[in-house]
Amino acid sequence: MKKLLVGVLILVIFQWLGEFAAALLGINLPGQLLGMIFLLLVLSFNTSLLSWLESASSQLIRYIALLFVPVTTGAFFLAPAITGQFPKIVIILVVSTMLAQWFMGLIIKRVSNHSG
Amino acid sequence: MGDVLVTQILIPQWQLIATTSWPVLITLAGFVIGLWVYRRSGNASPFHPLMIATPLIYLFLQWIELDFERYYAGSGLVNWLLGPATVALAVPLSQQLRQLPALFRPLSIALLAGGLFATLSALLMVKLFGLDDRILLSLAAKSVTSPIAIGLVQQIGGITSLLAVATMVTGLAGIIMAQTIFRITEVEDERWQGLILGVTAHAIGTAKAFETSPRCGAFATLGMGLNGIWTSLFLPVAVVYFIN
Repeated sequence: MKKLLVGVLILVIFQWLGEFAAALLGINLPGQLLGMIFLLLVLSFNTSLLSWLESASSQLIRYIALLFVPVTTGAFFLAPAITGQFPKIVIILVVSTMLAQWFMGLIIKRVSNHSG
Repeated sequence: MGDVLVTQILIPQWQLIATTSWPVLITLAGFVIGLWVYRRSGNASPFHPLMIATPLIYLFLQWIELDFERYYAGSGLVNWLLGPATVALAVPLSQQLRQLPALFRPLSIALLAGGLFATLSALLMVKLFGLDDRILLSLAAKSVTSPIAIGLVQQIGGITSLLAVATMVTGLAGIIMAQTIFRITEVEDERWQGLILGVTAHAIGTAKAFETSPRCGAFATLGMGLNGIWTSLFLPVAVVYFIN
């Protein structure tokens, strides 16, 4: 429990650091993403922080779908101008995902043969 | 500097938390039901907790005549947690990066090219279909994991609810098509299969990759996390060329 609370606190502090840096430097990136990059950098030098973060991060990530519930529910309230385009949107998403997977497969076949 | 911290970060975040009210219970109840149905279905993707929870909540909101804005504000705490959850992604990512060096070159090439292709192909098709800029900005981050994607779309000015659905459709489509694509392109190595799933189908693809093997899942985690960072870097520049 203690580790969970300390872990959440560390995550929040890094989020603030990220938002603070984004605001001060006028960087065009979400603050929490900068916070994640900061934490990634710190963890690559200092692994001792990892044991404090494992419990909080695995719990948050395990139930992460909960955090998308309100925003996804909003899709039922979108304007008809947008919902009317849903068939086209679904086609775009399916086709571009398929093409990207196929393209990555081709690249991987090419680059992984050279390096074994 | 101190006032930036208070006025631009602490106060807005506190307001997000402080608007939390009883509607957050609707969110929790909907999710618990969704999770229960998903587990009972043997984790079948059409029964993803979000696919069950969101229509139920929609019907319930209609029934009690609560408008979406009040429901959304009332779920403030849940929305606020997206920030710490994004930062939390650094933990599995750093654990996986540690074991990487040997494959660094092929992995970076596949990741950079794949991430770029997944997004640009979608933006191009949005243009071809003649859809408007708000839809373009909302779909732009569709292959990025949702916590990062939501922040990104808020930043560039898209509609987060449309993005959330687009991300879900992308993830589901990705795991349904992946096995066929792996056969066609003859990608048999589990590590590369994992990377493709993580880059193109984010968290839903990563969960699927863990069903194949922990190694496959580890590469999917890498693909998802690194693609989130990569797309965030090129997207604000790329969309400028696509919007009128």
